Amino acid sequence: MEAPPVTVMPVTGGTINMMEYLLQGSVLDQALESLLHRLRGLCDNMEPSTFTDHELVYLLKGQQGNPFILRARRSLSQPAAPWHLRYLGQPEVGDKSRHALVRNCVDVAASHSLPEFLNEMGFRMDHEFVANGHIFRKGAMKVVVSKLSRILVPGNTDNTERLSLSYLVELSVLAPAGQDTVSEDMRSFAEQLKPLVHLEKIDPSKQRH
Amino acid sequence: MQQREEKHLEASLESLITQVAHVKNALHSFIFKLENEYERLTWPSVLDNFALLSGQLNTINKLLKNEKTPSFRNQLIIPLLLSQDRDDDLAKVTEQRVPVFSHEIVPDYLRTKPDPEVEEQEKLLSIEAARIGPEVAQKQIQTLNKLCSNLLEKLSNPRDERDAESAALRQNKCWFNPADTSALVGAVAFGKGLSKCPKNKYIPCAPSLMPGGPPTLQQVTMGAAGQQGPLGGPPQQQGQPGRTSLPVAIRQGRGFAGTFQAVIRV
Repeated sequence: MEAPPVTVMPVTGGTINMMEYLLQGSVLDQALESLLHRLRGLCDNMEPSTFTDHELVYLLKGQQGNPFILRARRSLSQPAAPWHLRYLGQPEVGDKSRHALVRNCVDVAASHSLPEFLNEMGFRMDHEFVANGHIFRKGAMKVVVSKLSRILVPGNTDNTERLSLSYLVELSVLAPAGQDTVSEDMRSFAEQLKPLVHLEKIDPSKQRH
Repeated sequence: MQQREEKHLEASLESLITQVAHVKNALHSFIFKLENEYERLTWPSVLDNFALLSGQLNTINKLLKNEKTPSFRNQLIIPLLLSQDRDDDLAKVTEQRVPVFSHEIVPDYLRTKPDPEVEEQEKLLSIEAARIGPEVAQKQIQTLNKLCSNLLEKLSNPRDERDAESAALRQNKCWFNPADTSALVGAVAFGKGLSKCPKNKYIPCAPSLMPGGPPTLQQVTMGAAGQQGPLGGPPQQQGQPGRTSLPVAIRQGRGFAGTFQAVIRV
């Protein structure tokens, strides 16, 4: 079960409905250095920050339809930081010419008792992985270059194994609904990263098959 | 006849002195730049300086090869007087570089033969050259000429050809693997390739949980919307206007916002 699409919902107050605009690509290990150099040049001048995160994906299977998915993420490099809970909706199928994948996004911070809480609520952890890599910002755009590892023993984040020989590169922007200039900016930024990495709109539902 | 030769000699000496003075000035400014403007120096400007020096040396070479220049080899310079005393005129002429015309400066400034080490190396080289014989030497000369002409040809070819070749080479190098992209995206989106967790923790979400649910749940709903609905209401109400709807356990009433904030307050 999913939230109904943004366009038909009346605004009932509360927080602004944020959409995540996303472009994804990957880069082989041997090209990582060049990509990082290029990003360091293109993005805002700040200390390049690395991160190590452990993400757990929780599913709530309802009576009908698709299960409800929540993503809980915690930092392994900063254990005291709060957990981050995120809901991502289905990608909007509006405009085919839109360059980025657009989906509803809700982000909140949570305390360290989040996993037990979700279990009590009825969620079941579906899968987990560890992501570590670099994060860059350019204005509102965020570029994350991460290496994904699968966890071999559930709950043990030290024993991990890389998923593939590539790094995942994601370009994302969080913006209120209805701003289409965002995807134009993202596309021009993505052009600058070619031919190292081709950032494109990858529909996850198509990946399933 | 001799006067003409003398005049030639003097004229060529004058021009040689001016050329050498140019080289000296160029070197002087270059060294100054290297020592003082070290941080601001760029490689192209260093290259410019070297090019200038090389051009000036070329001019001097041409001057010496010129037919009108009498052969300087036939001239002799003999120091007539060496003294340990400071000579002010000499110092002024040489910009304080040679204050005393003494025995120490003679081997350096009036040198006609190369350094001993250089002489040794030259001797070895000429022995080597004599040893290999004329045919081998000729072949080596031909190979060298061929290599140089090839290189010159490549350098002088139009730039477009070169760019096309290098672009083709670059395209062959792959920076990313599309299969990897789909694998990674699949992993992030729905856990493809990641081991699924065992099902024993699964608690079915059903109204059966609701009656006698913990009192905190009630607080949640009150905090969220200020609306009361019976606990254990119908499990899923889809199509309700409202933002995200969590079934049963949390969501009560209709059309509240800020569900998540409410959840976390528990």
